[in-house]
Amino acid sequence: MLSSKTLIFKKQKRKTKNGKNKKSKKISVSTKQESVTKQYQIAQEEEQEEEDEGFSLKDSVQSENHGVQPLGNLYFNPSSHNSRNIGLGNLQTLTDELVLDILALLEGTNLGILSTVSKGFYIFCNHEPLWRNLVLENCKGGFFFKGSWKSTFVSANKPLFSVLSCGFKVRDFYSDYLFQSWLCANLEMKPEWLERDNIVRRKGISVDEFVLNFEEPNKPVLLEGCLENNWPALEKWNRDYLIEKCGDVKFSVGPVEMKLEDYFRYSDQVREERPLYLFDPKFAEKIPQLEKDYDIPMYFNEDLFSVLGNDRPDYRWIIIGPAGSGSSFHIDPNSTSAWNAVIKGSKKWVLFPPDVVPPGVHPSPDGAEVASPVSIIEWFMNFYNETKNWKKRPIECVCKVGEVIFVPNGWWHLVINLEDSIAITQNFVSRRNLLNVLEFLERPNACTLVSGTSDRVNLHDKFKNAIETYLPGTIDELTLKAEEKKAQQNKPSFWDTVTDSKAGAFKFSF
Amino acid sequence: MSSTKLLTLKTSDGEEFKLDEAVAVKSQAIKNMVEDDCVSNAIPLPNVDSKTMTKVIEYWKKHSEEGVSKDQLNDFDKGFLEVHHSVLYDLLLAANYLNDKELVDVICQEVADRIKGKTPEEIRKEFDIKNDFTPEEEEKIRQENAWAFD
Repeated sequence: MLSSKTLIFKKQKRKTKNGKNKKSKKISVSTKQESVTKQYQIAQEEEQEEEDEGFSLKDSVQSENHGVQPLGNLYFNPSSHNSRNIGLGNLQTLTDELVLDILALLEGTNLGILSTVSKGFYIFCNHEPLWRNLVLENCKGGFFFKGSWKSTFVSANKPLFSVLSCGFKVRDFYSDYLFQSWLCANLEMKPEWLERDNIVRRKGISVDEFVLNFEEPNKPVLLEGCLENNWPALEKWNRDYLIEKCGDVKFSVGPVEMKLEDYFRYSDQVREERPLYLFDPKFAEKIPQLEKDYDIPMYFNEDLFSVLGNDRPDYRWIIIGPAGSGSSFHIDPNSTSAWNAVIKGSKKWVLFPPDVVPPGVHPSPDGAEVASPVSIIEWFMNFYNETKNWKKRPIECVCKVGEVIFVPNGWWHLVINLEDSIAITQNFVSRRNLLNVLEFLERPNACTLVSGTSDRVNLHDKFKNAIETYLPGTIDELTLKAEEKKAQQNKPSFWDTVTDSKAGAFKFSF
Repeated sequence: MSSTKLLTLKTSDGEEFKLDEAVAVKSQAIKNMVEDDCVSNAIPLPNVDSKTMTKVIEYWKKHSEEGVSKDQLNDFDKGFLEVHHSVLYDLLLAANYLNDKELVDVICQEVADRIKGKTPEEIRKEFDIKNDFTPEEEEKIRQENAWAFD
């Protein structure tokens, strides 16, 4: 059941990311339940420890809720009946997830018919993720988004019919799963999640300084002012320019490929928990002009995978997405390091060093899979506060236009777009992480772990041979250096190298 | 890990079932316990009663048999799922609890098949659902979904 904290809403006076909402009024999810929710809120406020508990819902139009309430509210309902159970009949003993698993096997027409059966089924059948899957299966990337996934589906399949929702609201429907799903789709980032900005920032440092202070010791850094002179993209890249240059070319968006114009139509309208994200590793090959609009910052010029030519794994992506889109916790593939430059918009980053697994994240023992079952916004709701009192706190920042973040190899990171954003990211291997990468590629399960290339099994040998060919002696030299260093000391973890850390014996291990 | 190793499962009503480990690990939950080496005593399954466990084991055993063709398994599944709805849903909950994706999928498909192709009234009858719409509400909802009845 959802905790009491999540039942409280505060009205936004204005959309604000600065400071806390001191004067906040209460808002209810649906007007019919207002008195119930209000009573409960008053009781809860007295118990509140924190001053600013509550969530801000997005300013602009929210997605349809149809009156769903969290399960906890049921106890404040005098009649105590849950129209969920009445409406599901025999199926009421099943969990919400199982009901949705069953509905996921139905065609669109089945769902449409089923939604007229009872109020309970009406709500279940309007669960947007169901319609999203149907649209993506049927239309692939060629869908014309019409405000909601259900409308999009109906409009594509039965164009002569109206797609208007009748705005029906159900009373007395309580479900944590469905409520949480709607909540996460419409939540805005709380100001306190954006407050901590403890990354080291540098401007105008030399490549040597960067290597010595950040790349070599594997520490993240935010670099300012290194895109100013040679990134036409900063001025040129707006919607019109991109649509003009890219025309009908399709880009990778999650499981499908889409034209830019179609993607923007979707991203402008959508309100969902896990928005589709445009993340394309072949953008430069598809539209060569885009490659000319930017230049690799000088710190990252060493790019050893380039010795493989066209056989190299994917290494550069254009990333476009609306507020709320992003990537949940992961470590970049192949033990590479990365840089990420914001061209439009802004991104919130949360990073953990390789030896600290973020809360709520469960990597499998061989690292092949990372189970992070919650969406990004749910991670912030349920796990972010845990990190407040940790000695080994995450590194956080908001990366803005013109700024570049360096993500050292092996670091866990989560990114969320705070607004419509466009960025470029590249992964790379330099001499500093060459040995790491070779070791990674050599692992027995390399063929499943190694990503971004069609020739996983041979990548290690190919890469090693290519390095020996083009940069003879490099591997031996680096190996020697590493052995010397090892002999001198035990390699300290990131937190041991931070002078104000009194980390003590706090340790995670698998 | 010898393939003749026996595990003991204890259901909510106190009954114990002895089962080959090789069969029991169809449940991902049990498999995890085996890997974590905590199966030396009986494995408690407080969310599954003996009646349901019997059915689950019947399914596991059939699907572990050697020399059974796909067609034979399909026939078995069909018969296996022809049970009273309360038995079926208890089975689904158990399969979910035990984390046996294959069995969950098979039962979900069965239920989905019981929904497909039926009119709203037939669906209500099948699942014993009360129509809680007022006539006006029902008309509104029907209009909204007119496309599905086309």
